[in-house]
Amino acid sequence: MQAYVLAVSLLLMTVVAGAFWWAVRHSTWVVRHGADVQLHSSGHVESYRTGLFWALVVLGVAVAVATLRPWPYDASASEDSVIVTAMGGQWSWEIAPQQVPVGRPIVFKVTSSDVNHGFGVYEPDGTMLFQTQAMPGYVNQVRYTFTKPGKYRVLCMEYCGLVHHDMVEEIEVR
Amino acid sequence: MANASVLVDRPTLAGTEPALRTVKLSMGLSGLVLVLLMLLGFCMRLAQGGLMSVEPALFYEIMTAHGAGMVGIAALTGAGIMWFFLARYVQLTAAVYWVMLSLFLLGVVLILGAIFVGRFAGAWTFLYPLPAHSGGVWEPGAAAVFLAGLISIGVAFLLFYLETGRAIIARYGNLSRALAWPLLFRGSQDDVPPPAVVASAAVIVFNGIGIVVGAAVLAISLINLYAPSLAIDPLVAKNMIYFFGHVFINATIYMAVIAVYEIIPEYTGRPWKTSRTFAAAWSAILLMVLAVYPHHLLQDMVMPGWALVIGQVISYAAGLPVVVVTAFSLLVYLTRSGMRWDLASALLVTGVFGWTAGVIPAIVDAVIVVNKVMHNTLWVPGHFHFYLLIGEMAMAFGFMAWLTRAKVPEALSGTSYWGVLAYLIGGTGVAVMFLIGGAMSVPRRWAVHLPEWFIQDQVGALFALISIIGAMVLLGRYLARLAAAVRA
Repeated sequence: MQAYVLAVSLLLMTVVAGAFWWAVRHSTWVVRHGADVQLHSSGHVESYRTGLFWALVVLGVAVAVATLRPWPYDASASEDSVIVTAMGGQWSWEIAPQQVPVGRPIVFKVTSSDVNHGFGVYEPDGTMLFQTQAMPGYVNQVRYTFTKPGKYRVLCMEYCGLVHHDMVEEIEVR
Repeated sequence: MANASVLVDRPTLAGTEPALRTVKLSMGLSGLVLVLLMLLGFCMRLAQGGLMSVEPALFYEIMTAHGAGMVGIAALTGAGIMWFFLARYVQLTAAVYWVMLSLFLLGVVLILGAIFVGRFAGAWTFLYPLPAHSGGVWEPGAAAVFLAGLISIGVAFLLFYLETGRAIIARYGNLSRALAWPLLFRGSQDDVPPPAVVASAAVIVFNGIGIVVGAAVLAISLINLYAPSLAIDPLVAKNMIYFFGHVFINATIYMAVIAVYEIIPEYTGRPWKTSRTFAAAWSAILLMVLAVYPHHLLQDMVMPGWALVIGQVISYAAGLPVVVVTAFSLLVYLTRSGMRWDLASALLVTGVFGWTAGVIPAIVDAVIVVNKVMHNTLWVPGHFHFYLLIGEMAMAFGFMAWLTRAKVPEALSGTSYWGVLAYLIGGTGVAVMFLIGGAMSVPRRWAVHLPEWFIQDQVGALFALISIIGAMVLLGRYLARLAAAVRA
């Protein structure tokens, strides 16, 4: 997903850059036909603006519907779920159990004993799969089904003090 | 030519001139601090890329100073722009700007002392209860001094908003008129405020609220350092901190864009007027800036689901006024205007580009399914470096260039040309390398990086160096011209 997100973002940013470039390229021209000093209030410009607005609204609604269904926070446990508890503390993780089965929904219940931490689970190739915050006094719940066996790393994703970068643990999926 | 009146300064109201001189001084100070903080950022990228040895303790101190300092100068430059142009329309009390600047500098001294003497390294976000849990690294006193420094800066800006709010109300009667609501809701053309006033009124309302909430959570955090039994719910504290932080940093850009509204018309000959669309956009901005902060808590599943959906949806909606009103209007005003390009106009237009382009990765990150894999990776500094470095600070540099423009028109050439080009290329490179780092799943705020992450750190450091050179050229030109004006 990350590469796709990057590509789409850079593409859209390039479109913005292109629009600015076009306007800059045409900025030094002076229109000699008609008084268009009030160009900004002309009907054409306002209809373009209205069109852009509604196009962006429609795009936004489509993106919202597409990304919020199914509900992205569904972490309910089913009969075949495995429950894993994870407790963050300066500066280590306590995860139990650390070995989980492939192909079954794993429900992670994540909390902290001191400050805010971030529970980020990485694939063996170093790509992040999902994350949630580990917060004192609360249990955040997230569900994930591993499809490949291997050693997955847990990295701290919320700055938690001087050994933040060393707060790494492993989960074995088999 | 449409831009025949480029160099004619518009009058400011009587009694405001001393404060305007202070604005020029504060912009220069901000520029100096910016370059120093950019150098700190450069060091961090070198350290992450394995090209420089920096102890993690020092790295996190530098990170805390870099974050707090950059937010501070973004706010100071934005406030300088807002004050300068507001003085064209309302009667401001010059002494308040001095008091604001003094409290700001006091805050800076306290923060620097807390970090580099007290070894505080809790990040500028002071995420509760981290200041009280240093793991034996810093004492509560250091955290207290840091929080006191932030409170001092918060009070400085609160005074600033109270004074600008007072002056606007004295002129327009109430804030709703300053927000152009009579025009928006009734179509009244009577005494329509200019864009600078509309934008200022919106910022005063939302950032005033933001600062009050920030002051509350800072006070609670301060008390908690010495009385741990007086604790606050960590989720409530997190909401308050991100509400304050989000509103405060957004306000910096919404203040800086006033320079675009006020200066660009001098180059295009097309006035930037308050229309119903403009008024609607700024009222929407006011509400959305206040409502959008839950996008910082999308990985806190214990938050109410509706709040998280608001975080995603409003993040997208908040981009609409930027794209459809400010950016779109600017492009229309530019097109076929007979625009004359100089350093000031180039930087101001660059600033709007940086802002518009920078909101794209921000909006993308606020989509919950994306946030699940991008939150707290380098994607986050990627988007905010884009809209702060290429957006807000470009606008600030544009304003500085305009303040020190020559009496005869100057083309964008020579050192200025290469300076702005280096700043633009370097800044864009810095931000894009962060975005690539985010796509590589590199976590943010890590002092030590894995070797497989080095390449984006190293290329990012190279771009950082280029952007620093550009910033030094722009700052050097400003300071040299300011000094020459003082001597004259």
